[in-house]
Amino acid sequence: MPATENKGLLVFFYICIAVFSVICLVPFVLAVSGSLSTESRIAAEGYSFWPRGFSLETYQFLFGSKAEQIIRAYSMSLVVTVLGTLTAVLVTTAYAYVISVKGFRLKNVFAFFAYFTMLFSGGTLPWYLLSTKYYHLGDTLLGLFIPYVLSVFLMFLMANYFRSIPHEIVESAQIDGAGHLRIFFSIMIPLGRVGLVTISLFYALQFWNDFYLPLMLVTDQELYTIQYLMYNMMANIQFLASGNAAHVGGAIIAPPLETAKMAMTCLTVLPIAILYPFLQSFFVKGIIVGSVKG
Amino acid sequence: MNKKKGWISLLLSAVFLLSACSQGNNESANSGNVGSTGGEETTPSSTADSTKDNATLAPAKLKIVLYGDESNRMKELAKTEFYDVVKKEINAEVEFQFLPWTEYGGGKTDLMLSTGEDFATYTDTNYMVKSVAKGLYADLTPYVAALPDLSKNVDEASFTAFQLSGKQYAIPVGNKPNSAEFYSVLVRQDLLEEVGMTQVTSLAELEAFYDKVHAVHPELVGYAGTDARRMLLYDYTDQNLYWQNDFIALDESVQDDKIISWFETEEFKAYSNLMRGWYDKGIIPKYAATNVPQLQSDWNSGKAMIWAGTAARPFEGAATISQAVPDAKLVNYFLGTGRPKISRGTYSTAFFVSAAAKDPERYLMFFNLLQKNQELYDLFAYGIEGTDYTLDANGRLTKITTDSLIPDWLLMNKNFIRFDNTVPDDFIADYKAWDDGAIISKGAGFNFDNTPVKNEETKLNGVLTEYLAPIGSGFSDYETAFPKALERLKAAGIDKYIAEYQKQFSEWYAKQSK
Amino acid sequence: MIQEAAPGTPVRHSPGPKTSRIGRLRKSLRRDSSLYLLALPGIIILILFAYLPMSGLILVFKNYNYNDGIFGSPWAGFSNFEFFFSSMEDALRATRNTVMLNALYMLTGTFCSVAIAVILNELRSKWFIKVTQSVMFFPYFISWIIIGAILFSLLDYDKGILNQLLQALGLSQMDWYSSPWLFVVILVLANIWKSAGYGAIIYYAVLQGIDTSYYEAAKIDGASRWQIITKITVPMLIPSIILMTLLGIGGMLKGDLSMIMGVTFLNPLLLPTTDIIDVYVYRTAIRSGEFGFASAITLYQSVFGFILVLLANKLAGWYDKDSKLF
Repeated sequence: MPATENKGLLVFFYICIAVFSVICLVPFVLAVSGSLSTESRIAAEGYSFWPRGFSLETYQFLFGSKAEQIIRAYSMSLVVTVLGTLTAVLVTTAYAYVISVKGFRLKNVFAFFAYFTMLFSGGTLPWYLLSTKYYHLGDTLLGLFIPYVLSVFLMFLMANYFRSIPHEIVESAQIDGAGHLRIFFSIMIPLGRVGLVTISLFYALQFWNDFYLPLMLVTDQELYTIQYLMYNMMANIQFLASGNAAHVGGAIIAPPLETAKMAMTCLTVLPIAILYPFLQSFFVKGIIVGSVKG
Repeated sequence: MNKKKGWISLLLSAVFLLSACSQGNNESANSGNVGSTGGEETTPSSTADSTKDNATLAPAKLKIVLYGDESNRMKELAKTEFYDVVKKEINAEVEFQFLPWTEYGGGKTDLMLSTGEDFATYTDTNYMVKSVAKGLYADLTPYVAALPDLSKNVDEASFTAFQLSGKQYAIPVGNKPNSAEFYSVLVRQDLLEEVGMTQVTSLAELEAFYDKVHAVHPELVGYAGTDARRMLLYDYTDQNLYWQNDFIALDESVQDDKIISWFETEEFKAYSNLMRGWYDKGIIPKYAATNVPQLQSDWNSGKAMIWAGTAARPFEGAATISQAVPDAKLVNYFLGTGRPKISRGTYSTAFFVSAAAKDPERYLMFFNLLQKNQELYDLFAYGIEGTDYTLDANGRLTKITTDSLIPDWLLMNKNFIRFDNTVPDDFIADYKAWDDGAIISKGAGFNFDNTPVKNEETKLNGVLTEYLAPIGSGFSDYETAFPKALERLKAAGIDKYIAEYQKQFSEWYAKQSK
Repeated sequence: MIQEAAPGTPVRHSPGPKTSRIGRLRKSLRRDSSLYLLALPGIIILILFAYLPMSGLILVFKNYNYNDGIFGSPWAGFSNFEFFFSSMEDALRATRNTVMLNALYMLTGTFCSVAIAVILNELRSKWFIKVTQSVMFFPYFISWIIIGAILFSLLDYDKGILNQLLQALGLSQMDWYSSPWLFVVILVLANIWKSAGYGAIIYYAVLQGIDTSYYEAAKIDGASRWQIITKITVPMLIPSIILMTLLGIGGMLKGDLSMIMGVTFLNPLLLPTTDIIDVYVYRTAIRSGEFGFASAITLYQSVFGFILVLLANKLAGWYDKDSKLF
């Protein structure tokens, strides 16, 4: 790496990244401070970087009335994220390998077969009909991740990482008589680990952030995830903003309290945000260990 | 080329597979229908007997969908007392499912209906008309005999509101003073008294009230809403306008079948100018153009002076505001003194049953329970005495838990309602007398079939949300913005829409007067 | 280890002696059978959750009613598209806004993501990289509703922080929420803020996979830091940039309703620039409960995107055969 010259540029780089990071941090500080404020002062004075009238009331309220539900939703989210990510990474990398094999005559067909689904979709009605009536995914754990185990976007990303692996390595393995399965498991996966870590993280996020599958496929409260609880809460705001609320004459639909909104944001975001750096090194180690065994 | 062929054949086989599947689906849906018609042998005629003697009722499963947040207590009761009582009364296992509000009148509700799930939930006339056109609601006409108690406690007129060409598609629930909904001004009486006023009888006094409070509390917003055409009606017209939807109003002071294209009237102009004044003055806050939910939040947290009133809002609203402003007091002022109050009917809402329901009659028997007698009403609305609430000697309510059960706005029936012990007696007296002298709108019971003008209606909604709503709320100036808006209205086909509406309404109206 | 690949060498799956077409096919099937096996789970998922539901596209040309089912409902021809295309002015504006916003998002987003990735690649402090990388990822988690609430507290006319600042500086207040073109800038900034960190991780991962020997060689040649960035690092990212662009271009006509909902609350005064197709459909068709209309427009978005992708893919192929998506 270039060492001494151009110190100025390097300092400039550090400043750029630091400034952008601080800007990215702002809403979190606001959310944390909002969740620790009292509702009346937030309502009167708005958000601030420091809690207005410090109080744990919101959390006491949330955990007082919903502790059990929140904890169950957390564990559900965790299970779905772990199972979903593992399955998804396996399915995705395997497919990505296939479309990245040089000289495979159907690779473009497979690539197109996948890409087409990124553009065209039949809409929610047939999807819902098939998922509930024919695949019987309603109220099942599988239903909370199986539909999302192949993100075509991430699949292409992974194929891109695979393509950057020098082809000679594959060729020499082929000369040694290795089949595709062996090349995939013992060469591509370990060598593509940076890409693998990246898509694992993206998948983990996708599963953690998802509220759509629980909304569509789950009625059993045991299967609610934390994001779905969050969505449920925010749905009132959206409904009020949509103008449809006027049709429901006498119903009283109150938007959630500011503090509760902020507390829920903290509850859904902070765990994974804090875990993220650890997850990253965990994944890296896991893949190295796995590939040594393989 | 080869590649393409392979790909096409794959897609074809996929389509073929699904069509096979869905044929199966159709068959099963049909067989479901056959099953239910087969089940009908126990229905209309034998209904009366079967409710008397539920031992003859075969076990059934009911799914009731409700919107909003499910409270802990509701969750408990749904599995225990509610379940038991329904099982005992009508031999059905009832299950409650809560969906987020965004799924109301569309979203998942629509998916569940379209894919043939067996459930019931509440609706409005708007959603009903659309769904019935798609065949999504069960025709409940044959089963209304299963509602012996409900039909005693719910107005006849409420039933007609949910009929389409003589068929009953939803069962109204609730019976409460509903007239002049949003036609009165709900005023923070505590603020009114603070600035030395006692009451509000006119627009001028209302504005004076704002000015005085604004001088003392500049942080408060005036009106926590964007639509005041009803509460200010008496200040910009002598007609007694009653709106059928966003575009069409009726003049209730005349006995005729003429509909009014609201946006094209002089009244709309006068109203818009009034609202423009309010917006400029700050009675409607600047942010109202952007953040409608914020208005509701502000009202709830006691940061607004007035709101649109309904009969029940003085005490319903006070319950919310008092958390932020403990001594808040709300009073309704009807600015149209002497003019009749118009009512759409006394129902709160209405339940429909999905077309695929195996046993629609049993659903009706369940609705009947909701409005059957004091005992059941207390259970569904308030829970268990001693655990969830207590009653004092006058039958006034003190809630022990704040968890809501089956929402009480939904069940609210004047024959059974219990007032909270914090509600002053004069409020209750006002509430009970609210509907005195009220008249039912001449359009009540008319439901517009929009099929011939679907495109027009959809486009009109676009013009409404972009051009007309901001004029009506005073965000844009009538003089400058209206010509363009009118041009868009015409382009979207307002004339065709009005003509179609007029045609259907006249036909219906003629039948009514016979 | 093998070094210095010359990427792009054509590889022969040796065709062998001349055989009949069918024989060749059978042979390649046998040879590639393990590839089919690897792709199988993915194929199943795509069929189950994408291709089978796709037959629902037929609904776009039908008047759906429950009793007749998906296939039995009467044909409606193109009437479900009518509401959109018969008000040409709205259709054009919505299409223009969608393409404009997406193009801006794509340009600025890619630029920022690449810039961040390149800069991260230059930095030495491990903990700094780790911390900032995580932090920049944060916004991606926050729902637009929350972002909207925070923006509102910045931009509100009376109490917004920005207007209070302006006032403190002796300037007059700005009515942000009634300035449609200014709001384009705000949306673009919000989009960068929300997704640049996410994008940067993709590019940064590519850079981490680059053989360090390239850099060492350049260093020996006496290249400056800036030269290394422009001559080595950025060119290394070009295939990935092309890929991301190709993947994004298909969605050129698809807008993010939740973003506009969350950030503008569908403010009518901002519609001249924020009325993207999804918003238009939401406030017309979905508001009226005409869900068939809504899915018709989704098909329009897909077909338009599909044509763009086919073109872009051709273009990418001219630049470099390996960059093609399919």
